[in-house]
Amino acid sequence: MIRELCIAGATSIALACSVPAYAGNTLIAPGQRVLVARSTLAVTPATEWNKLGARPGTNGEIWTMDGDDLNKITFYGGIIEGKTLFRQVDKRNRPLPKVSSTILMTDIPALLENSYRIALGTSLMSIERMEPTRFAGVDGINFTYSYIRQGEDLHRKGEARAAMIAGKLWMITYEAPQLYYFDKSLAGFRQIADSAGF
Amino acid sequence: MRGAMARAGRVAAVCLLGVSAGAQVAQASPDPLPPYAQAYEPQGVDERGMWMQSDEAERQLRDSNFVIRDEALQSYIRGIFCRTVGDERCRNVRIYLLRIPGFNATMYPNGMMTIWSGLLLRVKSEAELGAVLGHEFGHFELRHSLQGFKQLRSSTDALAWLSILAPVTTTALQVGIIGNFFAFNREQEQQADMQGLNYLASSPYPSAVAADIWDRQMAEKDATAAGRKRKVKTHHYSAGFAASHPTDLARATYLRAAAMKTGDGGDAGDASYRNGLAKWLPAFLDDQIRLNDFGGSEYLLGQLASGGWTPELLYARAELYRQRGNPRDLISASQFYQEAIDKGYAGPEAHKGLGLCLMRSQQVEPGKAALRKYLELSPSGPDAPMIAALVGK
Repeated sequence: MIRELCIAGATSIALACSVPAYAGNTLIAPGQRVLVARSTLAVTPATEWNKLGARPGTNGEIWTMDGDDLNKITFYGGIIEGKTLFRQVDKRNRPLPKVSSTILMTDIPALLENSYRIALGTSLMSIERMEPTRFAGVDGINFTYSYIRQGEDLHRKGEARAAMIAGKLWMITYEAPQLYYFDKSLAGFRQIADSAGF
Repeated sequence: MRGAMARAGRVAAVCLLGVSAGAQVAQASPDPLPPYAQAYEPQGVDERGMWMQSDEAERQLRDSNFVIRDEALQSYIRGIFCRTVGDERCRNVRIYLLRIPGFNATMYPNGMMTIWSGLLLRVKSEAELGAVLGHEFGHFELRHSLQGFKQLRSSTDALAWLSILAPVTTTALQVGIIGNFFAFNREQEQQADMQGLNYLASSPYPSAVAADIWDRQMAEKDATAAGRKRKVKTHHYSAGFAASHPTDLARATYLRAAAMKTGDGGDAGDASYRNGLAKWLPAFLDDQIRLNDFGGSEYLLGQLASGGWTPELLYARAELYRQRGNPRDLISASQFYQEAIDKGYAGPEAHKGLGLCLMRSQQVEPGKAALRKYLELSPSGPDAPMIAALVGK
């Protein structure tokens, strides 16, 4: 009996502690124009998405449908010169590359790739296709990529649109496991990316 | 090696000696090899458990995407290992080459060895690789994982009992037990170093090269620190309280002293190693220069180019400078790309890199010309539409 009480007490404490972890997540309603990544970039999703409370960095924001390991849209809202794409994992021993205001459009995929290689500890990442596109009303780049995280064997695919505007990096990426999930939400991502503007 | 025998029952091992690990090493002589038993079966519940975990880890690793599946390279590396430890000992070891750019190799209790691509990139000869693989095999042959596991268990048992029986007055004793554990681990590493040297001394390779690896490790760490504008630390002979390995300086010193006593010779196999690794060198270099470690990568490239700058090394250096991207770097990178092209670099990507460098350096027309050359050589490349847009086609 005492053991059961202890278990019940422990469970209550665990539940109480777990609440704040979910408190920041919010539902993004379809059809509404919303500002993303604490920036002036705005998108209009056609379907419901979940915005995670946890941010990848100061000017980052993550949306997902089924959980960020299964499908994830990341918004990068005007990363300035000298800043990393997302929060450092190990600044002293594995510092991430930083944005430069003078980089060319073709350097953006390499910046993402190198950041992922360092942060995820993987050597299995590659950029697959790059082509010009219009993004948020300006000339930008559309690219695809694939990667496997260190210690995993799950193939993940990604697609992104990005542009340098007034020396700042603006980008939206979409990533999901190649099996089933990537195709499932790809159209949703492209619709959101098409709607991006200021 | 660092992080050796991670996962699968890898238990870092080893004991408090009260003096620096290195101070003993010059006088230390390696333990005699245990008699080699073909198809050894684990003894006792601890060892059987560790082997079971290792077997499971191996089943997973065998299918991993990080394994380099190149039979020619695998066969070549296995040949080096077998020449180092002897055909009989190497026969049952399974070697997995992993595409991980760190300087490491691991040995599991069940005879599985992993060799990371970052290690293959950093050693300069067959003999140097043999020294590292001999060290790893020494861990296996001396059953270090089992000893380490037992040491860890007895240390944590003692700490648990102390916290119950005398929770207030035993701090010094607890610190002693913890320190003893790390020192035990360092001692095992030292034993494996000496064992590796013994293998090398009885192989066709010269044992004198074993110390060179640690000299260059120190220099690379210094270069990394300087490149990141960090203070370059003084290298100490004595390891810290919680260090799992002897310091690089201690290893270089005691390995050099032991090799001088041995006095063996032989061909280190520098040229054959360069040939054996040639196919994979560009890929391993690419992995390295994407690590945002300008100083360490530049040092490494300089070491690899000690016999002259090849087109592949020049291209990698150009990429390294272009990625850092300071205005002066872009000028240097342009020159390296051009040198690589002039020396016969075969890939069209050198023209792309040159063009992008020039474009970013405000030399628009020469940059466009180089990019047009790239498009001419690689008209259907995956980035061709984007490059064409930059050129203005």
